[in-house]
Amino acid sequence: MPKTILIIEDDSFLQGLEATKLKKEGYNILTASNGTEAFKAIDSKDPIDMILLDLLLPDIDGFMILEKIRKTVGHEKTPVIVFSNLSEEKDVDRANKLGASEFMIKSNFTLDEISKKIKDLIG
Amino acid sequence: MEPEQQDELTKLKEENDKLKKRQSIKADVVSISAHQIRTSLSAIKWIIKMFIDGDLGAMTAEQENLMKKAYEDNDRAIAVVSDLLQANKVEDVVEKKYSFTEVDVVDLIDNCIFDLSGESLAHKVEMIFLKPSIELSKINADKEKFLIVLQNLFENAIKYSLEHGKIFIAVREKGEFIEITVKDKGIGISEEGKKNVFDKFYRDATAQKKEGFGSGIGLYTAKKIIEDHGGKIWFESVEGEGTTFFFTVPIYKETK
Repeated sequence: MPKTILIIEDDSFLQGLEATKLKKEGYNILTASNGTEAFKAIDSKDPIDMILLDLLLPDIDGFMILEKIRKTVGHEKTPVIVFSNLSEEKDVDRANKLGASEFMIKSNFTLDEISKKIKDLIG
Repeated sequence: MEPEQQDELTKLKEENDKLKKRQSIKADVVSISAHQIRTSLSAIKWIIKMFIDGDLGAMTAEQENLMKKAYEDNDRAIAVVSDLLQANKVEDVVEKKYSFTEVDVVDLIDNCIFDLSGESLAHKVEMIFLKPSIELSKINADKEKFLIVLQNLFENAIKYSLEHGKIFIAVREKGEFIEITVKDKGIGISEEGKKNVFDKFYRDATAQKKEGFGSGIGLYTAKKIIEDHGGKIWFESVEGEGTTFFFTVPIYKETK
């Protein structure tokens, strides 16, 4: 049974590239382009094995979504990779305090490297 | 305190508050712009990697070489944005995360000149590296950060040279240091500019006339990096005739 990854990313082009790559790696992909869609996906009963979370979204910021994830029954320990081009120490600290599993700066990694990190976390 | 002194003090405090606010707004603009630039650079990085990895079909050897070059240049742009963000910190402290190793400065200069060959061609400027005839000692440097220094200084020389101008780059060993010079015969720096040229965001009036766009961060960053390496940077310039930058970096010494 393939593992499911929820990609929360408002840039449709980047979302598409991430989804295409991870589908090729054999994962089942769900996507959300804003906070509302993300909340819906998190509250649904669909199994989600890991979440790739952008921080700058059009309606609410990724930190609020991360808080929500950690307060949702069944997702208290779901691996969350914060995947953003923000890189201030305060952003990294805040993400870590809210329970992010990893903080990755998008422009520093290739899709292969991201996929490898995901594999390390969920197989 | 005299009433006039009190007034003066109040005015100074107000000015200081205004400056802090402006600095903060500027910092936010830089931060947001950097984020947007990085988003585009991420997409470019991933697409180019897909080409290199053959995900989008086979390429000729020439196409593959060009894609690899584009990938490296894109990574360099990403590194520059990262350094811009570092220099942007309101506390005005560049986070010192260096990884010092033994570096061949002649090789590094060669590579940097090659990387900028497109830009120098576009500006119709020739870069001439006066390579030393004897082998020089290696330097003790963070290769990636030191490359940023070279890139900033070479790019400035290119930008502010006149068409068909020449840029001379020389390197020599001087005691415990390697000294590098970058000489152009371009627009030079104004007398006023000489006092401020290493200030963050400063752009000399002559520079702005020649090249409208510029961050004003290049020399500030270069100076910070050089000084963090234990070196020095200084220059000689005559407006309308050209500028020579000199900078030093310590020679690598093996620690036992």
